Amino acid sequence: MAAVLLIEDDDRIRLSLALALEDEGYTVRSGATAEEGLEEQRREPADTVLVDLMLPGIDGFECIRELRRTDDVPIIVVSARDDTHDVVAALEAGADDYVIKPVAIKELTARLRALRRRARPAPATLATLVFGDLEIRPQAGEVSRGGRPVPVTRTEFRLLCELANHPGQVLSRQQLLERVWEYDYGDERLVDVHIGRLRQKIEEDSSAPRHLITVRGLGYKLQR
Amino acid sequence: MKRPGLRTRVTAGFSVAAMVVAVAMALLSYQLTEQFLLEEREDAAKRATYYDARIVRAGLAADNPDFTNVLKPLDTGGKRLAMLRFGGDFYGRTSIDDGVTDSFPPSLIRMVEGGQPAVQRLHIDSRPALVIGIPMGAGVSFYMVDYLDELDTSLTVLGLVLTLVAVLMTATGAGLGWYAARYVVRPLTSMVNAANEIAAGDFTTRLDPSAEPDLARLTSSFNEMVDQLSQRLERDRRFAADVSHELRSPLQTLAAAASVLTRRKADLDPRTAAAAGLVAEEVVRFQTLVTDLLELARSDQPPDLTPVNVADLARQVCRARGVPTGIVDVDHGTNPIWQIDRRRFQQILANLLDNAERHGGGPLTVRIGQRDGIRFLDVDDEGPGVSPPNRGTIFDRFVRGRSSNARGDSDGTGLGLALVAQHVSAHGGRVHVMDRPGGGARFRIELPEQRR
Repeated sequence: MAAVLLIEDDDRIRLSLALALEDEGYTVRSGATAEEGLEEQRREPADTVLVDLMLPGIDGFECIRELRRTDDVPIIVVSARDDTHDVVAALEAGADDYVIKPVAIKELTARLRALRRRARPAPATLATLVFGDLEIRPQAGEVSRGGRPVPVTRTEFRLLCELANHPGQVLSRQQLLERVWEYDYGDERLVDVHIGRLRQKIEEDSSAPRHLITVRGLGYKLQR
Repeated sequence: MKRPGLRTRVTAGFSVAAMVVAVAMALLSYQLTEQFLLEEREDAAKRATYYDARIVRAGLAADNPDFTNVLKPLDTGGKRLAMLRFGGDFYGRTSIDDGVTDSFPPSLIRMVEGGQPAVQRLHIDSRPALVIGIPMGAGVSFYMVDYLDELDTSLTVLGLVLTLVAVLMTATGAGLGWYAARYVVRPLTSMVNAANEIAAGDFTTRLDPSAEPDLARLTSSFNEMVDQLSQRLERDRRFAADVSHELRSPLQTLAAAASVLTRRKADLDPRTAAAAGLVAEEVVRFQTLVTDLLELARSDQPPDLTPVNVADLARQVCRARGVPTGIVDVDHGTNPIWQIDRRRFQQILANLLDNAERHGGGPLTVRIGQRDGIRFLDVDDEGPGVSPPNRGTIFDRFVRGRSSNARGDSDGTGLGLALVAQHVSAHGGRVHVMDRPGGGARFRIELPEQRR
């Protein structure tokens, strides 16, 4: 059974979300602070982490960064804050998805399922995809640049594979949201921030990308 | 009538003042010059005439003098006319035109005849002239007519010059006034620019208080006003954020708890299940209401514009609602890529489609087009339409239409169309409702043509 770690300082929200998710068949572990949550994840890693942003002590952003240091576990932010600024900052810190309270349990479980599916390797190609100095091995779930392995999260990897499977072809943000996040329609900031994070890792100069190109008004493409 | 602008009024004031001064100066100059010239001319004429009179007197002293011969040695030139009067008749060197002597006033003649020299200015055949009469004794008097043509010409020229000077002075005054007004208005212009920037949402704009020392008070009050305004806005924003957080948190608990209840409905007795169902439904409604209210509170913020394919966006929104994407139609030759705030436009489309679903028997067409510099997006439905008196109020908050769906309940928040109106106006456009040709309502969003 999938295990979810819930880091949320509001006791009632923590309790009710735990009840609802358990009803949906998840094993729920929880922490009332980032410190507790991180400790819990070290002790017994969960498959997905749900994290609030406003936490006493270490805040949610720092908590995400801390988790990302050692782990590529999928992270969903569950926050009452809906400022673009907060959303982007949380995604840049390394979160895979962002939902705004109050979120319906159906919606939350749909996103959890999508994230878990994403954790599996992309089915399309088995062969190694080469883009200049960039090598993507879909089967092994590995990316390397100039022979050195590049650590990417599962969402970043799926995004990269999706673009790599259509070399030189422009994919719109919505197409990427549908194929990578499995959203009917959703927040395009997810795509933009993940593209930014990928560029940091696979481009020599992320401000002047050579492989991962923005096509204004249309979307993104990966080229050799 | 529209009151003329400050600059126009200042310019007009300066022109009028300059004109009054110029005309007064010109009139005074003319008068003084005219008087001075006339006196000079008169003196010169008198001196010449007295000199001539001496020659004539010497001629008359001879025995049996002939008047014509007496006048002959006088150097009169073309502008002077010498004559003698004796026994009521005038004698000149040549025959004398009656018109000349007739215009001599009788008082002058009487005076000279009475032994008094006299001078008179008059017009002969509308030529200005000076008549000088000197008694010679023994009933003879000497008259000299001196035409003043050249003086008149001088005065005409003077008048013209002075008029020209007056006109130039008036023009200079107007120019000065225009410049002064511009100079005075300049700090106001910078204030207008600042106010525009602030209205556009830039609350960091301030006026430089050292730029115009004379307007220091105005500048400082302006800056103070902006400070207070931005503080208040910041306070409101923080309040909205706090309210948002404080409302969202308990709603999250409610939503999660309600989902547990709903999932376990089968385990509950019918009364509890019915109550749990109500709680779950209302939680959803409350959730939408809070989200819409918070959205509405923030909807005056400037939109985050990016190029978006509106047709694709409309199709996505349709798909998410189970509405066939084939209803989205783009007019031939219309560029569907608009500079818009994607999130807000998504909400606009979603709310219009929901509205059509709820009150209009379902959306029929979503049409994107452009005409006469206006980009528009129509959402048509097959409902009863909106009666003209309701067309304005339908976009107000908490106005609910009669539900047309089968269940007959009204689960809208009454904020959907208000949000549409707010979002559209944040984009600089407008939304209105009209009759669809063939029945039903047509909601039309209009945005001005984008700058390229």
